[in-house]
Amino acid sequence: MSKKEKVVYKEKINWKKEAALLPGYLIVLIWIAFTAAFLIWILAASLSTSREIFSGAVFKFESGFHFENYANAWNSSNVSVFFMNSLLYSVVSCVAVILISAPAAYVLSRYIFLGNKPIKTSLILAMSIPEVMIIMPIYALTAQYHIRGRILLMVLYIFIRVPFTTTYLLNFFASLSRSYEEAAAIDGCTPGKTFWQIMLPLIQPAIVTVTIFNFLSVWNEFFMALIFATSTEMTPVGVGLLQIVNGMKYTGDYGGLFAAVIIVFLPTFLLYIFLSEKIIAGVTGGGVKG
Amino acid sequence: MKRKKSFIIAFILPCLLSLLIMYLYPVIRTVLMSFFGIESVTASVSDWTFNGVDNYIKIFGSPTFQRAMTNMLLIWLVGGIIVLCFALLFAVILTSGIRFKKFFRAAIYLPNIISAVALATMWIQYIYNQDYGLLNQLLEAVGLEGKNWLGTDMKFWAMLFAFCFGAVGYYMLIFISGIERIPADLYEAATIDGANKIQQFGSITMPLLRSIFKTNITFWSVNCITFFLWSKMFAPVSTEASTIVPVVYLYDTVFGTTGNVQRDAGAGAAIGVVLAVFVGLIYFIMNKLIKDDDLEF
Repeated sequence: MSKKEKVVYKEKINWKKEAALLPGYLIVLIWIAFTAAFLIWILAASLSTSREIFSGAVFKFESGFHFENYANAWNSSNVSVFFMNSLLYSVVSCVAVILISAPAAYVLSRYIFLGNKPIKTSLILAMSIPEVMIIMPIYALTAQYHIRGRILLMVLYIFIRVPFTTTYLLNFFASLSRSYEEAAAIDGCTPGKTFWQIMLPLIQPAIVTVTIFNFLSVWNEFFMALIFATSTEMTPVGVGLLQIVNGMKYTGDYGGLFAAVIIVFLPTFLLYIFLSEKIIAGVTGGGVKG
Repeated sequence: MKRKKSFIIAFILPCLLSLLIMYLYPVIRTVLMSFFGIESVTASVSDWTFNGVDNYIKIFGSPTFQRAMTNMLLIWLVGGIIVLCFALLFAVILTSGIRFKKFFRAAIYLPNIISAVALATMWIQYIYNQDYGLLNQLLEAVGLEGKNWLGTDMKFWAMLFAFCFGAVGYYMLIFISGIERIPADLYEAATIDGANKIQQFGSITMPLLRSIFKTNITFWSVNCITFFLWSKMFAPVSTEASTIVPVVYLYDTVFGTTGNVQRDAGAGAAIGVVLAVFVGLIYFIMNKLIKDDDLEF
């Protein structure tokens, strides 16, 4: 096998074939060059002064690198608060949703009981219901019981990810052999213990994939945050960035704005650099938008 | 047996509760709200006054709502053609035996990972900027005059194009997974029979991608119906007719706008119901129109 791979590796570039593909290379390269130029300019602008940005001289760095833009954005534009909130929402909801969804997915895939089918159907229906159908009653409910602050968005983000996560994990549990449970039962293991100690670790890869999607989705969430984040203390990055943009009229700190953009996009970007293969496989494998 | 029952209940209960609290109760209440006259979204049920389909008559008669629907349809049609064409083009290029396929694929999908708010901010504050923006600099470099891309006349198209740029990657991935499922021997047989690449694309790839097209059109349609973020980013402070979409109209109707404190939660609920019905129709029509695969390969 390894020998064969070596042969393939040493194969000469077939120039005729590559030439036929040239138009394809060009189209893709132009598109990617545009994306790259775009991101590099933003990065350069985040290290420049507002004056340099307006005079179109962001790549010259005549007055040096202005790292203080990042410090300004982080401290005086409240980016630190928004960032920490988003981190809190993402981490808490990712963990909690697994604790809710994994057991449910397990019993739904393993046991036949009254309501099994309707619950599965409802989960799929819930995924396709537009958020505009649910926010108004939730808003009324939270106002009535005076639920506010970070806990509110945290709970909403957990609930909103349950249908997708449960449906995603269901298929993985269904593909596991029943012999694991049979062996565990013979050894006197209770169903609960079997689940937590044997079955859950077996679907670890699926849990990792679904958690990545949940993290990206919560980190980038905007609509619910706009409605429910009524104070700066509970605002996540998306809505926070919108507030910074709206405040630009008064501050005029463009360097700080672009620094804030970089800070907001960096966590998901880094995640993508390391996990792009897994993310792409998840998108096409599931056929479901994360 | 009894112990098994309690085990199942304990495992399913949290999931069931979240379905009831987050979905069933709100959906039922929103549907009810759409038939009542309600001013504030937080008003208690005793303050609701039944007014039949008045809310629906009101929104369909509103010029703002009609404008929002027109914008949504334009986004769906024009954006859909742009996005699906580019997505298919990239999918075909990336599956044609090109080098660095994985890198290209990841780079084109990248905008889907970034916070859309950050992406929209980059477009508005950089690409479309009148003074130092990329677009005007490119135009000036070839001797043309720069434009105010965020003026009323161009704003809609600026928004649409920026949105499409970010969306292409996702639909491309789905097309790629469809193309890769087509067996290679079909193409080999076609090549032996003397069919060129373009003929192969028309007679093999396109027909076999039917169900993938269905998936993509369905996702695109639902995406357009719930379009909100980009419209909000391109008109952040006060809503403008050029970029308004139904969800923005709903948001303004329910929560009020700057300078207009009049609110109508009943009408907002009616808009929500209309949009949900649209989503339902899309799923229904796509399932009827393109039968799920009778094809086997």
